[in-house]
Amino acid sequence: MNPDHHSSLNPSSSLKSRFTKTFLRSLIKINKQRPFPYCPREIFQRCHRVKTAADKSLARAAGSRRVWSRAMLCKIRNRSLRRGCQQRPSVRRIIIGYQTTKKGYCLQKKMSDDQEVGTDQASKLRKLVPGGEAMDLCSLLDEAAHYIKCLNTQVQVMRRIADIHSS
Amino acid sequence: MESPAGPGARSSLTGPQPHETGLDSLQFGEDIQHLISVPPENASSFTALLELPPNQAVELLHSPDSSLRTRNVIEAHQQKPYLQPHFNAANLMFPTNSGLIERAARFSVFAGENLNNITNNSPETSSVPSNSSANLEKVVKSEPESFLNPLQPLVSDPTTVENGAQNQRPVKRKEREKKGKGSTKKSKSSANGKSEDGEKLPYVHVRARRGQATDSHSLAERARREKINARMKLLQELVPGCNKISGTAMVLDEIINHVQSLQRQVEFLSMRLAAVNPAIDFNFDSILAAEVKWIFMDSNFHSMAMPLMWPEVQVNGNRQNYEQQWQFDALNQLVWGREDDSYNFITPENSLLSYDSSANSEMQNDLSSSSLIMEVWLLCVACIFSSSPTISLHICPEVHSFCLKLD
Repeated sequence: MNPDHHSSLNPSSSLKSRFTKTFLRSLIKINKQRPFPYCPREIFQRCHRVKTAADKSLARAAGSRRVWSRAMLCKIRNRSLRRGCQQRPSVRRIIIGYQTTKKGYCLQKKMSDDQEVGTDQASKLRKLVPGGEAMDLCSLLDEAAHYIKCLNTQVQVMRRIADIHSS
Repeated sequence: MESPAGPGARSSLTGPQPHETGLDSLQFGEDIQHLISVPPENASSFTALLELPPNQAVELLHSPDSSLRTRNVIEAHQQKPYLQPHFNAANLMFPTNSGLIERAARFSVFAGENLNNITNNSPETSSVPSNSSANLEKVVKSEPESFLNPLQPLVSDPTTVENGAQNQRPVKRKEREKKGKGSTKKSKSSANGKSEDGEKLPYVHVRARRGQATDSHSLAERARREKINARMKLLQELVPGCNKISGTAMVLDEIINHVQSLQRQVEFLSMRLAAVNPAIDFNFDSILAAEVKWIFMDSNFHSMAMPLMWPEVQVNGNRQNYEQQWQFDALNQLVWGREDDSYNFITPENSLLSYDSSANSEMQNDLSSSSLIMEVWLLCVACIFSSSPTISLHICPEVHSFCLKLD
């Protein structure tokens, strides 16, 4: 075993291991940066940070081949951008404008196609799955299946970590 | 296999052409040659259209002298799995005598009959819309000139599927020449769910069943519906409790509920993690013990990468190899808070352990060092597993120095 090969990938690295690695790393970072939160607001902030970290690491672990993972990463990036540059409203407008036009166009297209399969459910699913607005029903179902799989792994891993830390 | 037959067929064709004046023979000959020279997949789609058992079709058209050659060809052909039930047009040896016309008529009748009984068996064939069979029957009743017609509508059916079954002669010739593109691009062959099983084909293949509409729009719709149904089945398997539900709407509801519940769980767990992480009694020993149980020792780890192996071992189930050994050793070496049985075991660590127990008490009281604790923990685990598994574990000097820092 060579302890020097830090960057070499484990050939059998699964989604679970990739997610755990990234997530733990970000957890440590979060713990390092802030002191332990005592007031509820800080707890809430920290919770939000943890959740973002979890989502981000899940999206990274899922790979960029999936629409939902790319969409999630974009969303997170845009959110941080928006928060970061609130002094520059032009950037925000551009970001928001891009998102709404994309959504608007795609929604129109979808409404015409999906009359047969329960449009309201399809639209609900679109809202749940990140990046679901810009997909036709067929690929939406595909992405939803993969998303559910990844969410399951995420929940399992987080539960394990929480159990270990709390026991 | 086909290539010897091809030129043979071609040569046989060029012979009789002067005799078949009534058949618009020159163009027919060119077209047949073109057909034969076309790559096998197109030919297979053509033959698939015919839906004929190869032997019968061959016998219809065959003059007895060339029967042997064709049979050999057919047999060779039958070995090819993708062409199996189908009669390859490239191996069609059109009879050169005047019996051609009668045979053609018989052939077209036969083909018409077969076309009427299309079933969904063959894995990859072009679709034969039911209106083409109607056309064929029409054609059969016409004169010998109509020999061209049964072949032409059959041949160009894949392309005419799009056009809504125009079986006109002049249109056919062009379309037959485009058949090379047509059969790959526009032809729709069977959709037994095979094309939807995770393959990302650019074009969906469906078969038009008997009694179903055959225009391009409904075919495309059907293809889409079948794709969607296949994906819904996959989703049903993923989501627990969805198998018994029937109906797309209910299944979708279940899926939506499941996704919502999973997302809520993630939020809840992240809240738990945010609250729990810098806990007051952050127990290394329990963490390490749990970690060690599931670590799968197959590769090199950086300190950050260490903890991730335990879920993998859970998945791989390889813990039996290492669990006993590691659990034992690690517990003994890295138990910092426990003062009961850990000291009895591995001796080189005892000094460190005793040292660490005092450090640990310090750590426990100091909330701000929780992050440090986590890092120490990770480093320890890393050190354990960076060394070889059989050697008794020595806590790395870095860990040692780190523990010093904590004081």
